[in-house]
Amino acid sequence: MKTAAELNYGEKAIISEIDSTHPSSRRIIEHGFTPGQTIELINKPIFNDPIAVSIRGTIIAIRKSEAGCIKLK
Amino acid sequence: MISNTDLKVPLITLVGPPNSGKTTLFNILSGKNYKTVNYPGSTVEYYTSRILAKYNINAELLDSPGIVSLIAESPDEKISIDSLYAHPTLGIPDLLICTVDSCQLTRHLLLPKQLISSGFNVLIVLTMIDSLAKRGYKISEQKLSSELSCDVVAINGRSKVGLANVISQINSNIEKTKVTDKKKVTPYNSSEQRKDLVDTFDEIEELVKSVYEPIKTKEKIDLNSANKELKVLQDAVSGNGFSPDEITLKIDRILLHRFWGIMIFLVVMGITFTSIFWLAQPLMDLVDGLFSNLNSLVADNLNPGWLTNLISDGLISGTGSVLVFVPQIIILFIILGLLEDSGYLARGAMLIDKPLSKIGLNGRSFVPMLSGFACAIPAMIAARTIPNRKERLFTIFIIPLMSCSARLPVYALLIAYLIPAETAWMGGIVLGGIYLFSMLSSIVVALVINKFTKRLFSSNETSSFILELPAYRIPKLSSVLNHTYNSSKQYLLKAGPIILMFSLVLWFLTYFPNINPEVDKKGLSSEQVQNVERAERLENSFASDLGKFIQPIMTPIGMDWRVGVSLISAFAAREVFVSSMALTFKVTAEGDEAESTLLSSLRNAKIEATGEKLFTTATTIGLIVFFIFALQCLSTVAVSRKETGGWKIPILQVVTFTSLAYIMTFITVNGLRFLGIQ
Repeated sequence: MKTAAELNYGEKAIISEIDSTHPSSRRIIEHGFTPGQTIELINKPIFNDPIAVSIRGTIIAIRKSEAGCIKLK
Repeated sequence: MISNTDLKVPLITLVGPPNSGKTTLFNILSGKNYKTVNYPGSTVEYYTSRILAKYNINAELLDSPGIVSLIAESPDEKISIDSLYAHPTLGIPDLLICTVDSCQLTRHLLLPKQLISSGFNVLIVLTMIDSLAKRGYKISEQKLSSELSCDVVAINGRSKVGLANVISQINSNIEKTKVTDKKKVTPYNSSEQRKDLVDTFDEIEELVKSVYEPIKTKEKIDLNSANKELKVLQDAVSGNGFSPDEITLKIDRILLHRFWGIMIFLVVMGITFTSIFWLAQPLMDLVDGLFSNLNSLVADNLNPGWLTNLISDGLISGTGSVLVFVPQIIILFIILGLLEDSGYLARGAMLIDKPLSKIGLNGRSFVPMLSGFACAIPAMIAARTIPNRKERLFTIFIIPLMSCSARLPVYALLIAYLIPAETAWMGGIVLGGIYLFSMLSSIVVALVINKFTKRLFSSNETSSFILELPAYRIPKLSSVLNHTYNSSKQYLLKAGPIILMFSLVLWFLTYFPNINPEVDKKGLSSEQVQNVERAERLENSFASDLGKFIQPIMTPIGMDWRVGVSLISAFAAREVFVSSMALTFKVTAEGDEAESTLLSSLRNAKIEATGEKLFTTATTIGLIVFFIFALQCLSTVAVSRKETGGWKIPILQVVTFTSLAYIMTFITVNGLRFLGIQ
């Protein structure tokens, strides 16, 4: 299954679930990453990490290791 | 301080997610005169203030650190949240004002939902209604209020439209709490947190559906925009919120560009760095000059004796060494405040996070570390922006390794000694080499310390970087200045006394017990007599006893007790090393001449026991290496104590960096000698 860490520039996807075993999973949900929401990869600056994604109208920078627990449909 | 419960003044606490306009509202309600309080036994800080008299609300207002939800992730967050339920000195708040960004309703309503289910009296203040209006919408306060069963009011933080409503709502809420008994507040139930959170978001999406209303204007009747309008409304209603701010997306295409992004970042940071370095210099010289003039004014006009000297060299110079850092603190905080307020600082942290995460740091460690090249004191204060406790303490820990500006005079003297005057241009190259060497060695040291961070900082927090990139906006100078003023005031009040106390101890060590040395005054001007007296006094002082005591430690690195005394005096501030060397090597000239005579007296200095030359190429390079690593600054120790909330880290820093300096100097001096360089 694809995760948010594998999104390409400008790609949109719908979240299917958040991997609850990841230590940051609760914090990720608190920022509004919940199943059914659409996320879009806004930017991938130098080093490709962290990435910038939009969720619920806000841009959030997130490390790839943490974006990896956002599973996509 | 009289506690709040004694006075029966209601307590209002401001809460809200980061970037929700909480601080703006606090500034509007409190004016400039707020004070900071620490949560007992921690470094978590709050601002408190009485609400301005003109609003006619008799209540204490507390500003808490920004939180996203009531479930704590870090020790600091736990403190912030626990204090909502029962602040040890202020008690349970009578009213919570929760700020919510109108454009981010579905994200920001999480916190007030949790607060309401905990049983708090909550008043929701909707902010950024101007941005929402630009998109053609407004929020029905009535509908939202009935959905959440708490009062809702909207305000424009910039134009202050809606302020009157906020005030009257605060008043009526306070009146309500007076009539009814205090509600029973129970800590937010965090069992089954993840599922709970998702459910709460679902509820929020459901209730938000009905609250957005289009603003009907005459221009918006054409079909095209009506269609667009419908689409946006559908998006907002379906819980996706609005699309991110268009202008912000465009700016980010450049500022987060793969190539230009990092280039602009380096330029911005370069400008920041040079301004704390060069812009502050004239002001620091001014403070320095002012206090040395005051010093000689006292010394010249009062009867000579230990009391006069205590006032001039102890108190006045000590106060000067506290105040001399204020210009750098002010300039750094103004620039950082402007960058933060504009929204750029979050992007900068994002750009540099990857390389710093490799050595156990965080993108937000960068600005404090860079500031460390100017001065460790504002740098450590700037480390407050790092939310992860472990990473913040680690950043503070390695800041003294950054080559601060106070080391420059020392390097200048030693380089001048090493390099003959004819090839002065070499000096620049050597200085560049020193900076490069200090940067590389800090990376190595950080890598080593990173292995021990868990034990050192007793924290198991996992490293994380999830940061909102706020929409760009023009920074508000008044709130930046306000924050700068308060940070500087805090430095003066909290770190100032410790620095002053240490300066007095050092003064005592270098002045006593031989307070009236007998010197041969024949053929000397009064100024020269003073200098000879000072040199004589220092030679027989406790500090020199200490220097002679550590002679066995100094010998292996090719130094003698006189250098030891200067190194001890340099703890007041590194640049003191130069004047102390001048004193111990009995320089009696003034001004520019002092340097050249100091250089020649250094050239002639011999180790007393063996008669060997004291300052050889090897020992001079050794001294430079010593200054690269050693933590020789009492002010840094004092600020580190304040910022880490205890003596553990500052003591560890002094021990680690000073022994590291000693070992590195030992290796350098003996290594060079082994290679045949004396």
